[in-house]
Amino acid sequence: MNHDSAKGTKPAISHLIWWFLFANGGGLAALVLPVHILVQGVLGPLGVVHVVDRKYDTWISILGNPIVKLYLLALISLAFFHFAHRLRYFLVDLGVPAARTLPAQVIFYGGAVAVTGVTIWVLLTTAPI
Amino acid sequence: MTLPGGDAAAASTGSATRVYKPEMPRGWWLRRRHYFQYMVREFTAVPMALWLLWLLYEIQRAAGGPKVYYPSVSPAFIVFSVICLGFALYHSITFLSLAGVIIHLKFMGKAVPPRAIVAAMFGLWLVASVVIAAVLIGFAR
Repeated sequence: MNHDSAKGTKPAISHLIWWFLFANGGGLAALVLPVHILVQGVLGPLGVVHVVDRKYDTWISILGNPIVKLYLLALISLAFFHFAHRLRYFLVDLGVPAARTLPAQVIFYGGAVAVTGVTIWVLLTTAPI
Repeated sequence: MTLPGGDAAAASTGSATRVYKPEMPRGWWLRRRHYFQYMVREFTAVPMALWLLWLLYEIQRAAGGPKVYYPSVSPAFIVFSVICLGFALYHSITFLSLAGVIIHLKFMGKAVPPRAIVAAMFGLWLVASVVIAAVLIGFAR
């Protein structure tokens, strides 16, 4: 019994970390993603407004800004940790219990780590600081 | 050892303890509107991830220089963005509405009502959207 209760109160550090990334990634995406999609994905391509990514010069110039780089890294990376957490439990809900296992965690969170790595590489090579 | 209420099922399998196995029938989430809405909310991660991967690809395309770079203009891309926008908006509305349940703040010794927290989150959403739109449009020529 004592053993059980001690086990039950063990702090779930890994869960804390994933949940922290999940919540912040979800929150950041909630605040900024719709306007990115609206402006860069709809209004810009339709020609309703001039958007910074429509021309190479303005796009490369804003991508060279270190604050923009940090912002894009935070957005893409945190969002993917959010997506990883959500999709893992989405699969559990759909009746795929294997999504709870350690290999599934490695695949999903590892995927988010990989996207983070690729994002850093892309941001540093596209418009070097 | 016999369990209280130990029945024929436990006896027939020869196991001393019975493990509770929750059963979720296939398509459980299609049975009620709220279940369906919950699953749509969870699914929003897929289109949002795809759109962000497109953004990453567009950033990467600029690495090729002015002769290689081209902005996406195809109708297919616009349709894709409109679909993603719908899911992203659903994510924003559901996620920011939950802030009233999750965030507990005290101001001058009094608990801030959840409604005020949700209103503040939606206000923040508006401000962030205006600022980002201003940057994306303002730095264009």
